[in-house]
Amino acid sequence: MPLAPELNVDEIIIAAMARQLKGEVLVSSVTAFGALAAHLAKRRYAPDLAVLSTPESGMDVTPMPTLTLGQFLTDVQQGIPLTMEDIFDAIFTDHFRIWINPSQIDQYGNTNITAIGDWHQPKVALVGSRGIPEDTSHLSETFYYILNHSPRAVVARVDFRSGAGNGESRRGLQHHGAPTVLVTDLGVFDFTGPDGTMAIRSLHPGVTVEEVQGRTGFPVHVPSGEIPSTDPPTPDDIRIIRDADPLEVRKLELMSGPMAAEKFVNIYERERQTLHATYPRIGKLGR
Amino acid sequence: MDKRMSIDEVIEQIPDGAKVAIGGSSISRKPMALIRALARSGKRDLTVIVDVGGPDVDLLLGTGKVKEVIYAFVGFEVLGLAPHFRRARQTQAVKFQEWTEYTVMAGLDATIKRVPFIPTHATLGTDVLTVNDAFKEIRDPFTEEPVVAVPALRPDVALIHVNYADIQGNGVILGDGHVDVLCAKAAKSTFMSCERILSSEELQRFGRDVQILRVYSKGVAEVPWGAHPTGCAPDYRTDLRHLQDYLKAAASPDEWHHYEKEFVDVTHGEYLENHGGAEELVSRLKV
Repeated sequence: MPLAPELNVDEIIIAAMARQLKGEVLVSSVTAFGALAAHLAKRRYAPDLAVLSTPESGMDVTPMPTLTLGQFLTDVQQGIPLTMEDIFDAIFTDHFRIWINPSQIDQYGNTNITAIGDWHQPKVALVGSRGIPEDTSHLSETFYYILNHSPRAVVARVDFRSGAGNGESRRGLQHHGAPTVLVTDLGVFDFTGPDGTMAIRSLHPGVTVEEVQGRTGFPVHVPSGEIPSTDPPTPDDIRIIRDADPLEVRKLELMSGPMAAEKFVNIYERERQTLHATYPRIGKLGR
Repeated sequence: MDKRMSIDEVIEQIPDGAKVAIGGSSISRKPMALIRALARSGKRDLTVIVDVGGPDVDLLLGTGKVKEVIYAFVGFEVLGLAPHFRRARQTQAVKFQEWTEYTVMAGLDATIKRVPFIPTHATLGTDVLTVNDAFKEIRDPFTEEPVVAVPALRPDVALIHVNYADIQGNGVILGDGHVDVLCAKAAKSTFMSCERILSSEELQRFGRDVQILRVYSKGVAEVPWGAHPTGCAPDYRTDLRHLQDYLKAAASPDEWHHYEKEFVDVTHGEYLENHGGAEELVSRLKV
């Protein structure tokens, strides 16, 4: 059975992501889903979060997902500027959280954004490990999301480990950086199965265990007892998400083909005026 | 000292086979006017060192200037994968060495600190350590625990683009700083382009935003729109429409040849004219 029809998949995923964030830590905004999860968490559950408006700076602004304007948002709202050194110091001292959207994740929580196939002769060269090795060797919690749960994305073994999971990847790392949670369009998963393998924590309303197994490249561990249903977003959650993303940049991550292209052009044309309508420019002091 | 130079005078300073570090991050504040000049020059066999690469690395690969790429990431962010990077990786036409965001910073920092390597836990448990021969897993001499030795990265040249500079080579960066300061300090010779040259008195009013210190810079070129088609906060946003045209052109040899003629093998003035001139760019891209 698919996801219950009265729910929007983007909103249930973002709400589930938001509930994982807590404490007083920097939260990076690399993707629309990550930015909205951080914003919703701060408004509803974790008021002390220090949310960034770009991957590396703009602390304590209200993020608005855009295609190109993260840094401008920092400017108009006078966000606190950070440096790349600040970011990696926060990662190494475990004062940082990020939602990572990998191309592949495996049963041990190893993740891949580098290549499909052998690294030396890739079938598809992706982008390169970026900062994931740093995250998975230092953070006490690492968070992943995948929008289209499929046997090609949730695999028995990743083709390349950009990020370290459990099992043999933990050698020399102890527990730090171990995978914590994966949120997909089917449910919320953790790594409490045998030897730190993936297990079902909750299923989104309407989703069955059989559907999860059918769309996963390995048998996912099913805990004994009744499997909880993911709490759907509340009306307040939904309002906060929609207000924070007036351009609906989050929908782009779910689309492909001509529909995505049209939405993309529309967002790009409108983002400047929306930015200034939502956050009128404040004059900079001393400049 | 007056360090003003033309774009072409900067390129003359780069020898064949040079190791060139490039500032900026993916589609933000890349020194694209300098990169285009390098791409249309007769230079060859360059080693490109980049933390987060985008159209810069892709153009140099697409024009055959590169022998080796040292990178943590190369991609076009919301627009997807970098076409020439992907092709070169898949055909193994060029040598690649995958690093990570922090380890590129650490490699540059090792050069600045004049030490042979910097130890880190980053990359333990990942395949970056498997495929990157430059890294060595060693024992912490105090605890015998495993750590990774990241060797010094020693660029011959750094190319960066900043918002403002003075003729002595001090530079102001107003948006996210990325790794430009590390590139500027680590390279034997640093050259920067800037949106505008200001008097030294005007420049000093920017206080801590004066991030590039003149003792590290060899030359400065005044190049308005010098980061285009990447963005330069808070002056202009990324030109995603141009980057979409770039991606389309990169898909066929004929169209790529046409793209090179129109946008690479031309002076910076002609480049702007081929976009309809600076006024057209202002109307689309100024924030």
